[in-house]
Amino acid sequence: MISNAISLMIAIPLIAAVVALFAGKAAKYVALIGSLVPLVISLQMFQAFENKANVMQFVESYDWVPSIGVKYTVGVDGIGLPLVLLSTIVSVMVVIYSWGESKRANQFFALLLLNEVGILGVFTALDFFLFYIYWEVVLLPMFFLIGVWGGPRKDYAAIKFFIYTHVASLIMLLSIFALYFSYSASTGVRTFDMLTLIQATGDSAIFSPMLMNVLFFGLLFGFLVKMPAVPFHTWLPDAHVEAPTAGSVLLAALLLKMGGYGLFRIIVPMLPNVSDKYIILMAIIGVVSIVYGGFLALAQKDLKKMVAYSSVSHMGFVLLGAGAFTWLSVQGAMFQQFSHGLITCVLFMSAGTIQHTAGTRVIAELGGLADRMPKFTVLMLAGFMASLGLPGMCGFVAEVSVLAGAYEPLPIYVLIVIFGSIVVTAGYHLWAMQKVMFGPILKKYLDLKDPHSYELLSMSILIVLIIYFGVQPALVTDIMGVAADQVMGPVMTLEQMGVI
Amino acid sequence: MVPLVLYVLLASAMFTIGLYGLMTQRNGIKLMMCVEILLNSANINLVAFSSYLPNQNGQVFALFSIALAAAEAGVGFAILITLYRLYGTIELDNINSLRW
Amino acid sequence: MYSDYAYLIVALPILAFVLTIFLGWHLPKGGGFFTVLATFAGFILSFGILREIYPTNIIVHQSTHWFANFNVGILIDPLAIVMLLMVTFVCTMIHTYALGYMDGDPGLARYFAEAGLFTAAMLGLVYADNLLQLFIFWELVGLCSYLLIGFWYRKPSAASAAKKAFLVTRVGDVMFLAGIVLLYTNMMRIGLPEGTYVLQFQTIYDNLVNIPPDQLTWIALLLFGGAVGKSGQFPLHVWLPDAMEGPTTVSAMIHAATMVTAGVYLVARMFPLFYAAPHALTVVALIGAFTALFAATMGIVMFDIKRVLAYSTVSQLGYMMAGLGVGAAVGAGAVGVGMFHLIGHSFFKALLFLCAGSVIHAVGTNDMREMGGVLKSMKWTSLTMLAGSLTLVGFPLTTGFFSKEEIIVKAFEYGTLGNGWLPYIFVLVAVLLTAIYTFRLWFLTFDGEPRSDYHKHESPWVMLGPLVILALFALFMGVGLNVGQDENPFYTYVGNNFDHYGVDFEELAVVGGHQVVHEAEAHGESGESHGIFHTIIHLLPIVFGVGGILIAALFYSRWKRFDSSMITTERDPLRHLLLKRYYQNEIYTLWFAEKVVYGLSLLFNMIDLKVVDGTVNKISELLVGFGGSVRKLQTGMIQNYITAIVLGLAVLLILIQLTIMEVAI
Repeated sequence: MISNAISLMIAIPLIAAVVALFAGKAAKYVALIGSLVPLVISLQMFQAFENKANVMQFVESYDWVPSIGVKYTVGVDGIGLPLVLLSTIVSVMVVIYSWGESKRANQFFALLLLNEVGILGVFTALDFFLFYIYWEVVLLPMFFLIGVWGGPRKDYAAIKFFIYTHVASLIMLLSIFALYFSYSASTGVRTFDMLTLIQATGDSAIFSPMLMNVLFFGLLFGFLVKMPAVPFHTWLPDAHVEAPTAGSVLLAALLLKMGGYGLFRIIVPMLPNVSDKYIILMAIIGVVSIVYGGFLALAQKDLKKMVAYSSVSHMGFVLLGAGAFTWLSVQGAMFQQFSHGLITCVLFMSAGTIQHTAGTRVIAELGGLADRMPKFTVLMLAGFMASLGLPGMCGFVAEVSVLAGAYEPLPIYVLIVIFGSIVVTAGYHLWAMQKVMFGPILKKYLDLKDPHSYELLSMSILIVLIIYFGVQPALVTDIMGVAADQVMGPVMTLEQMGVI
Repeated sequence: MVPLVLYVLLASAMFTIGLYGLMTQRNGIKLMMCVEILLNSANINLVAFSSYLPNQNGQVFALFSIALAAAEAGVGFAILITLYRLYGTIELDNINSLRW
Repeated sequence: MYSDYAYLIVALPILAFVLTIFLGWHLPKGGGFFTVLATFAGFILSFGILREIYPTNIIVHQSTHWFANFNVGILIDPLAIVMLLMVTFVCTMIHTYALGYMDGDPGLARYFAEAGLFTAAMLGLVYADNLLQLFIFWELVGLCSYLLIGFWYRKPSAASAAKKAFLVTRVGDVMFLAGIVLLYTNMMRIGLPEGTYVLQFQTIYDNLVNIPPDQLTWIALLLFGGAVGKSGQFPLHVWLPDAMEGPTTVSAMIHAATMVTAGVYLVARMFPLFYAAPHALTVVALIGAFTALFAATMGIVMFDIKRVLAYSTVSQLGYMMAGLGVGAAVGAGAVGVGMFHLIGHSFFKALLFLCAGSVIHAVGTNDMREMGGVLKSMKWTSLTMLAGSLTLVGFPLTTGFFSKEEIIVKAFEYGTLGNGWLPYIFVLVAVLLTAIYTFRLWFLTFDGEPRSDYHKHESPWVMLGPLVILALFALFMGVGLNVGQDENPFYTYVGNNFDHYGVDFEELAVVGGHQVVHEAEAHGESGESHGIFHTIIHLLPIVFGVGGILIAALFYSRWKRFDSSMITTERDPLRHLLLKRYYQNEIYTLWFAEKVVYGLSLLFNMIDLKVVDGTVNKISELLVGFGGSVRKLQTGMIQNYITAIVLGLAVLLILIQLTIMEVAI
């Protein structure tokens, strides 16, 4: 079983999705089982994972379309495993949080499960063709989630999200084809195997510098839009605001990490083979995302939009850390993905709860909710503190690693981030808390009570995890440290690692 | 013998007339007549060349072509009759609902 | 033996936090005794450790790997142990007092839980063995401050003050973080053996000479920036007076005795680095001394009793910073001097705040104009507050006398060694103002006749007990330490803190460009004064202090001869300036935060909507428009289609013909 763990982990939610479609009212139970089983599997994988070994583990490889060199190859290493764990955890939390969903429940839960399938596939696929399939698969459930269960401007948001990210994916696809065709033209071997192609980019006989620069940009563009990085971020606020809470959580916690994952799996190993200007580009975009995103969050009147921009800001750290290309900063960037994935769940869940208890997300119309919802206030405060980087929670560990690690190669950028964004970030979080939660309770909210127990449960579990990883990050950072060495060093193919 | 060139010229002239008519006429029946002219110009070409060549292939093809032209004319007129029933006119300018 | 359990000093208050949060609601007094017991246990442990390490060269050091190349650890040296003792003892007193003071508040369990968490965080800060860990607990202490200032969260002013405190200290923290990043980078550049934890204090002290001096100055100034925020030095002091929105025990604990001293502690802990960094200590001395004077000027016009004490705290923190800063001339002994004032101040400032709390509890308002004559109804409170006031002023033989006197004398030495006279002038004038505002407070509150109708009863013993104990320390700790000794053992023990690490101050002095005391002596100069000069320098602070008391008496006590209207009128611009607190609120909040920062964010929002998103929408409009134009080709008219067919055919034929003729196309 353990050697086929990945395929099992992806197949089960798929089957569960189909079953959920026909399960009617029981769809949520199907979804719960369908997401708990992959969680258990991923935990077992985590246990069985050998931290120090620098190889892909749990590898499966089968021929699929041999004539064009497509294989079904999956595996995890230090880059993918924490994200797999994150995905399974978040999927369960989302199912728990949405326990009360009544509109077209069977389709809703089926779409949540389909999302999980796609995401897990992206994080484990080792063949470009397979990777791209999963990449696109993720778009569909999200499109429907936004378009059917979304807010007032859902049509605009859904279409914008789909087309924007799809166009970026197509550009990425062009680069993938460039990789494939150049490789097969030079060596006569037709393969979509990720590691083989990435390793080959170091060979300037196959890939001339000019070709490398161009196709690198295509790949980078696809990931930048996904992350999202300024200036390609404008699909995010609309998509997030209009999506139902479960959709927003999945979008922010998981889909954005696809961009980061691509960064570490594909982009960073290629960095030594392309022009130095790309590092500057990544650093600039990273810093702009962090600072600009922070200021934008401050200007928002809608709580959910504010949280959306804070995601833009936090993902900028990933780009900065990856671009700085030092052991500590790359490790910090990977951890930032993991940490932000957990934290942003809490934030969006808070916004969602406020929406359906108080009826509005406009900050100016809220006030004094702590009076009536004490338990919820504690959780929301903890989440906001984690988001602004309070030590003791995982966000701080990630940010300090990125900043300390990136200072040597990129001093000015780090200083701009430190002085330009940290206080502003604290500012908008605290201002929102103060206006929404504290102060005297407004008359119209006197009837409010603490939200449902399932909402509180999912948020509490996440907060516990956030604090746990803030105090004991070594559990995942050790793996990430090895992974960081791996991506900064020479690329090895599966054959060379000895796992095929 | 009449020079081949004259036959080809005749066929070209007829072709041009037919094409021009096809592009400019509004009336459906006139369009059908132009199509017939086009086909017949091709037939003339075929027969003319065949008479200057040792084999009769051209004339055989011309016979085929005439039969096909008749069939096509039948179908075309059937369409025109249906159009007339629907739109009350066969001015093709007015029958343009299959558009943007 | 006690040192093996050092981790409990932090772990027990955290346990108290957890227990109180979950069980406190059902227990009497909100489960507050968990917190009191945990803190007291910490005190016992600290005392035990003191017995083990005093006065020898032993320090306690335990460390373990955390993540990446960082560790967590415990470091207890003389500097840390005195802080541990002070924090645990004073906090025990304050928590005990709170059992009485906060009684009846619906959020009592929450208060004690947060207070326990705060105690744990402060203690963790004190015995951190590396700079990152110190920063982590520094921020956690800031979190607790935020929670406790905003304890009565339904009050908008409290919620707002909490936010302001957090944000202003965040500005300082940002500089602190930049300093850490800079230090980390420089330490990594040295190329220490793999696996060394570069931010451990021992490692830093050992490698100061390997870091370029200008980098050292930047690092020191940035770290000092953090201290400026946390310890309320100018210009980041603005949050402290507002922080008085919290309960008085919070003000005593966090904003007098412990959290705000963290900044001073940081400078003391990093003293070798500051010493080795050219000009860094000069900046510390100047800002500290200036703050001492600046805050004192505002203290003399405030009517809110807690606000006067808040400004007093800011001022005294300035003294401590100045005490450390003059180490530029005086050497490592400055650490002993600054720290002694810190420890002493914690006792008497906490005392003053708790007394004020007693009074507020009885009178029902913070406004001194409605008090008066409290002496008659609350004897114990009045007397303990008098004790605290005397020591704050530096009345001879009180603890404050010993500590403030030293700082002023050292400031004088600093001046004579050619470093500038500003610190000395500032701190000396501040003595006068300190005496004035302190006794203005005492006389207005306790002396004379009651100016409003209030309850006239003394506080319960659970509140008075701590007051008396703290008052005894405030009065006699100085004398007690000095009796029978040549030199205050505190100075020898703490002042020589860095000898344990083998720090060579002479070497660092060269790097930092200091003219050290004994080096100057070798040249025949000396900072210390002799003969009559010596006596005058030592007497001046006493004269100023007593003089200030007299002035206050003449204006505000029952022997009143003058009235404040003789100096100033309603429309006096200077009075306005002071009352308006130099318009800092206007500058910081109304202008900078609301106009500049918020304005910038609105601008960015506009750009994002119109330009960035506008581009996206424009592109889509263009494409849709293009599609709209192209589809007009489908006219539905057969003629057009036929024409198109013909044209296409013609082009095709031409191309074929050209290909046949083998013309390159």
